Amino acid sequence: MIRHTLRSLATLLFAALVGSIVVFVLVNMLGGDIVTVLLGKEAGPGDVQFMRDELGIDRPLVVQYLDWLRGVATGDLGTSYGMGYDIFDEIVRRLEPTLMITLGGLLVSIPLALLLGTYSATNAKKVRGGVIDVFSQVGVAIPAFWAGLLLVLVFAVRLGWLPTGGYVPLSEDPIETLRSIILPVMALSLGVTAVFTRYVRTAMIDVMNEDFMRAAMARGRTRRGAALFHGVRNASIPLVTVAALQFGQLIAGAVVVENVFVLPGIGRLIVTATLGREVVVVQSLALVIMLFILVLNFLVDIAYGFLDPRIRDKAESQ
Amino acid sequence: MSVTDIDTVPDVDTAIPAAPKSLWRRLRRLPITLYLGGALVSIFVFVALLSFVWTPYPPNQLNMSNRLAPPGTPGFFLGTDRGGRDVMTELMLGARNSLYVSVVSTVVAMVVGSAIGLAVAGSNRYFQGPLTRLVDAGLALPGILTALVLAAKLGPGNTTATLAIIIWQIPVAARVTIGPARQVLALDFVEAAYGYGRRKPYILVRHVLQNISPLLIVLGSVMFAAAILIEAALAFLGVGVQPPTSSWGRFLNETQALLDAAPYLMFFPGLAIVFTALGFNLLGDGLRTVLDPQQSRSGLS
Repeated sequence: MIRHTLRSLATLLFAALVGSIVVFVLVNMLGGDIVTVLLGKEAGPGDVQFMRDELGIDRPLVVQYLDWLRGVATGDLGTSYGMGYDIFDEIVRRLEPTLMITLGGLLVSIPLALLLGTYSATNAKKVRGGVIDVFSQVGVAIPAFWAGLLLVLVFAVRLGWLPTGGYVPLSEDPIETLRSIILPVMALSLGVTAVFTRYVRTAMIDVMNEDFMRAAMARGRTRRGAALFHGVRNASIPLVTVAALQFGQLIAGAVVVENVFVLPGIGRLIVTATLGREVVVVQSLALVIMLFILVLNFLVDIAYGFLDPRIRDKAESQ
Repeated sequence: MSVTDIDTVPDVDTAIPAAPKSLWRRLRRLPITLYLGGALVSIFVFVALLSFVWTPYPPNQLNMSNRLAPPGTPGFFLGTDRGGRDVMTELMLGARNSLYVSVVSTVVAMVVGSAIGLAVAGSNRYFQGPLTRLVDAGLALPGILTALVLAAKLGPGNTTATLAIIIWQIPVAARVTIGPARQVLALDFVEAAYGYGRRKPYILVRHVLQNISPLLIVLGSVMFAAAILIEAALAFLGVGVQPPTSSWGRFLNETQALLDAAPYLMFFPGLAIVFTALGFNLLGDGLRTVLDPQQSRSGLS
């Protein structure tokens, strides 16, 4: 188990390193001079040089990269040149809404997908299984922001049950917090649930044909019982592989959904910073989001080590 | 279906290549998803191409006296937006932009990604593990994130969106290529090809690529759907295509402020996105069933 954990941790660190380099290279190698973009073509040489010094972009790229990593680690990323906020503090301050809706999205979509996927797999040849297939096909194709707009239209504008947007921090009024994230979580979960349901269904159909399922039924389990007690656990294993993509989807969805519901989270910050061409902010946020995805993957990986002894043994035998 | 329908008899044709059946019978055996997807995709492509030669009104024609006309208003079948622009015209032009971005990004990402995938699959075992990890790390980066990072430096626009989708989809294409390519490389006929002196690059292109091409076609269709959804999302966020080019995503962004006054405006662009993405996904599903029966049974392996 320890070896498995260490191995996953090594993967996490490696991926984080690669990711940070990719983000850094994308930002710093592509395109022209950011100072010209920020100050315009008419800026005098003095102003340009001042800005270049302030951004520190005349230093070698390796130094800039290491300095940036140090900044992320120590919490010193400088201040935003457009809005004047302390970049690191602002990121921390905005984590709450994003964490609330992404974790909410996970809590809703994973159990729901397991349920729907299993149901669809055990009823694969019947109409009620087919209905879920149609739902998942359509759900994949509905963009999160459109789902968000529809939800706002129905539940906020027409029925007036829930706020159209905005966020109340947990420390102020937990009930209002809950109310403010219901619609965003619904918009976010739709696509993720739909995709994951499809994977669960495929995995479950494979598992349902396994010998041990027949053995379980021979010992007196009902088909449903076998699916629940043996199927889900076994079907979960191939799902780890696709989980990585789903976390990415979830975060991407969160960025969009935060902008529909005007939630003051990471996603809204990154879009505002992008439009304001605040390269350091965007680059740092991208790294934070990536780390979040990687940590989620790491946790799932560990969890599956507990769930599936084969994964543990494989790590130990190597 | 008639009583004499032979299709209900369990067929043995799959095992024995029987006498050629009538075209009609063969067409009818194709999965329904293929037809549904094909139809939706065809409509999309047709509308996008049609917009080059005909739209109900000239692009971006303002008509302030007809602002926010509801759908069904004579002359404006789907209504008008807050500038009095015809919604149907806008949607046709939006289809054009979606088609442009998704074709360019999918084709480029497919070629580069599958080339990388083939190279990784063909590399020796010391490189294979780390390289596969590298591709996996690339998968963890969501497309929208790449796009935002790029847009911060390059500025928002269609090129940025296209480039971002390409960068996001290359690891996807590579990852999907690696596994099957390795399976093909382990087959006997590859050994035979080595035996009569073929070099690895030749084998990769001539044998491996050919054998996994059905898979790549399926993947391409699914990537199209993803590209359309991302293009719309980026345009919605304001970092995709800029005015005056029409886009479904940007249209939806503009209607957000009008949710109360003109809620119907948000239906049509949304439906356009859903049907197009659905079409490509269904087409991919149908193609998978036809081209790659093994894969369709176990989509995860």
